[in-house]
Amino acid sequence: MINLEFITNTLSLGSLYAMLALGLVIVYGILRLVNFAYGELIMVGGYTMYLLTFYTPLPWLAVVVLAVLAAMVISLLTEQVAFRPVREKSLTAMLITSFAVSTILQNGALLIISPRARAVTLPQIFQTSVMIAGTSVPWRNILTIVTCIVTLVLLTLLLRRTVLGIALRAAADNFTMTRMLGVPANTVISTAFAISGIMAGIVSIFWIARSASVTPTIGLPPLLVAFVATVIGGMRSLTGAVVGGFVYATIISLLGVVLPPGLVEFREAFMFAFVIIILLFRPEGLIRSKTSVERVG
Amino acid sequence: MNLAARLKPLNTPLTLVAAVLVVAVLTQLLGVSLLTRIVTVMFVSLMVVLGLQLYMGNSGILNFAHIGFMGIGAYTAVLFSMTSEAKVLTNADLYPFLVQLHLPFLPSLLIGGLVAALVAAVISYPLMRLSDAAAVITTFALLVIIHVVLLHWDRVTNGPRTLFGVDNYTSLWTSLVFAVVTIFAVYLFKESRIGLRLRATRDDHYAAASIGINMVVMRWLAFIASAFIAGVGGGLWAHFITSFTPYSFYLAETFVVLAMLVIGGPYSVSGAVVGTLVVTAAREVLRGIENQVNILQLFPQGFFGFTEVVLAIVLILILVYRPTGIMGSRELRWPRRRGHAELAQPAEPEA
Amino acid sequence: MLELNDVHARYGAITALRGVSIRISQGELVALLGVNGAGKSTTLGCIAGVLRPWQGGIAFEGGSIAGKSPEQIARLGISLVPEGRDIFPSLTVEENLRLGAFTRSDRTEYRRNLDEVHDLFPVLKERLQQPGGTLSGGEQQQLAIARALMSSPRLLMLDEPSLGLAPALVDQIFELIARLHQHGVTILLVEQNVDRTLDIVDRAYLMNTGLIESQGTAEQLRSRADIESIYMGVGRQAKK
Repeated sequence: MINLEFITNTLSLGSLYAMLALGLVIVYGILRLVNFAYGELIMVGGYTMYLLTFYTPLPWLAVVVLAVLAAMVISLLTEQVAFRPVREKSLTAMLITSFAVSTILQNGALLIISPRARAVTLPQIFQTSVMIAGTSVPWRNILTIVTCIVTLVLLTLLLRRTVLGIALRAAADNFTMTRMLGVPANTVISTAFAISGIMAGIVSIFWIARSASVTPTIGLPPLLVAFVATVIGGMRSLTGAVVGGFVYATIISLLGVVLPPGLVEFREAFMFAFVIIILLFRPEGLIRSKTSVERVG
Repeated sequence: MNLAARLKPLNTPLTLVAAVLVVAVLTQLLGVSLLTRIVTVMFVSLMVVLGLQLYMGNSGILNFAHIGFMGIGAYTAVLFSMTSEAKVLTNADLYPFLVQLHLPFLPSLLIGGLVAALVAAVISYPLMRLSDAAAVITTFALLVIIHVVLLHWDRVTNGPRTLFGVDNYTSLWTSLVFAVVTIFAVYLFKESRIGLRLRATRDDHYAAASIGINMVVMRWLAFIASAFIAGVGGGLWAHFITSFTPYSFYLAETFVVLAMLVIGGPYSVSGAVVGTLVVTAAREVLRGIENQVNILQLFPQGFFGFTEVVLAIVLILILVYRPTGIMGSRELRWPRRRGHAELAQPAEPEA
Repeated sequence: MLELNDVHARYGAITALRGVSIRISQGELVALLGVNGAGKSTTLGCIAGVLRPWQGGIAFEGGSIAGKSPEQIARLGISLVPEGRDIFPSLTVEENLRLGAFTRSDRTEYRRNLDEVHDLFPVLKERLQQPGGTLSGGEQQQLAIARALMSSPRLLMLDEPSLGLAPALVDQIFELIARLHQHGVTILLVEQNVDRTLDIVDRAYLMNTGLIESQGTAEQLRSRADIESIYMGVGRQAKK
């Protein structure tokens, strides 16, 4: 039923998915690369939280910050070590590389930590709820929404007020032209990967908060979500990614309510079929952007 | 034309088949059951990799959905080859009309391939006109769709639960025969008019279109052929492993098959063969190391994933340093030509 | 200032430049003329670092630049305004200009260039906060040139700036180029509009299928009979 609980759940899910999509699009916009290793960055965040909460007495706030940093660092590492040498080759080579990097990270976790799920001790706040207008709303949802808003504001400030941010947006429009203005390609791409890692780190906090455990394969579902949300949003713009995240959350939540029991497990298949249809007929995404219209004359 | 002259253009597939035969014979002679199992699986993998080479090598487009069609072929083939009792035993919810089906092994395999090809034909046609980047992304979406369907269509596939009780029809020689046939098929496709035209579109869309090559149709036909091979390969594999789940046809397997093709060289049939042989051997060695480390308990939490990490690193190294794979774009020939001097050609005068 | 020496370049299997040699001295306005496919844009691409010549040398102010990356070339003071303008559609006019000044770190220089650009292109001043994609073709062309000027370029390269513009705008663009030349900017201009080009340039090179076919001052080239045959009708509207 569509009530306040449904709305807050969907909003919270949408916030999560929007941040997810942002992290994927920021690299795609510049390199046209769907980074299959993106999901693994969330895994990295999760394992960092596990290791820190298990082996150290650090407070939760420190754990969270370090998890985000870890994801960012690993993202930058993958860019420098794996993606940079292949960048000059072809897009196909980059895609295969991202697949390989994903495999390395996943199996790296298997190797270094364990194939079995590891529990992450969450702070008390993730277990509690607050009463709003007669409905019990988990704090987790509120935190997700607030974090999303804060992240979006900070990201917007970065992209609009700093030269680096302007360069990033320009690179998404036309990478070669950006280089011809003297902007170093490596700086732009590294920044994009760093932001991608930060977003993955932030998402990992709330993703783990839902299951309280981390496994080596935890990165796949969020990758698929990011992928769909990005396509819905048009793959080219960051605003599109955010809207795509919310749209996806809404659709999947509605499908969960509306579809009969025999079909509801196929939600994901429907979403991906939807993705293919969008790519076929409206690759610029469902969101009309005002800059895609050009006056003549 | 005498026999030698007729066989000359088939030099490459004959060489490859000879190599594969040698492996098979040696395996049979050695009689080590572990080795026999490894080689049998290797021949099935070879078939699947060759199927991927047919599409990727000639069209230049990465295809993530290939293993999905292997899964479709596997599930279809077992639905036909298993007896009704066996089917009901593993999946009580199976649709009644599916329970009734029963065919011998070979027809089941072929139907598995045909169903995979049919699904491929239907879903892929609209995708063939997409740009290369979009085409690759949609194959990824396809893989996920196929996986979700296999995972949740309980009444056909038994859902995420293991489907067991499949007869072990796939022997060393069965898989060898199929591998050999596939080598010829993929090579002949490559040298056929369709293969040639498809490669023209790979190298230059516009030039190809200007001479009347219909890129969409060429890609589509190759995709269907590729899916058929994957489907039959899936059926073969199912009848070797005798029990499996939809998780056997998803990203991990896609990675292995992709690694075999890319490391060997995606642009030639020899690349597919060499890649499969090399990667299989490497994986067994690495797996052996993993097992030893585990036996010696050097790592308290277990030593898993080493094989995959090494394979992935090698894959990246190949992409960076030798992007066309071990074989480059060349095909194996025997005997190896020295330079390109043929007896009939006059020697170049020294400058 | 700029010297190309026997430059060869390829796109895959297609040879685009088969031994191009040009030179430009400081303060000159030089044109590269030729039909489509002659190799003019390819030449600019090689200078700008977008393409790597497989043979031959390119020297700028004494130092070799062949094979350098676009970023390095931009920092040396070479600015290319590509065919099709390539302004950033999702960035505002102001942001486009800001990015144009990326290689310069002096704030006063930035302000000075910005003021100059406002003077030269009043239309852009009005549209500072508008996204580049909403500008008309002519306005975008102005923005592209303005953006290049923001970097105080030592060498400005323009690839077919009049392409696709209405006649009145074409006048404006050529006037602008002439004015920049008067201000002392060294310009390499690629154009198909032979007539208007020869009006304003000092010298020109005529390219054909990857080679320099002929060169000379504007008068010398104008007197050549075959210019007319090569460019039948193009640009020779009012002159007849």
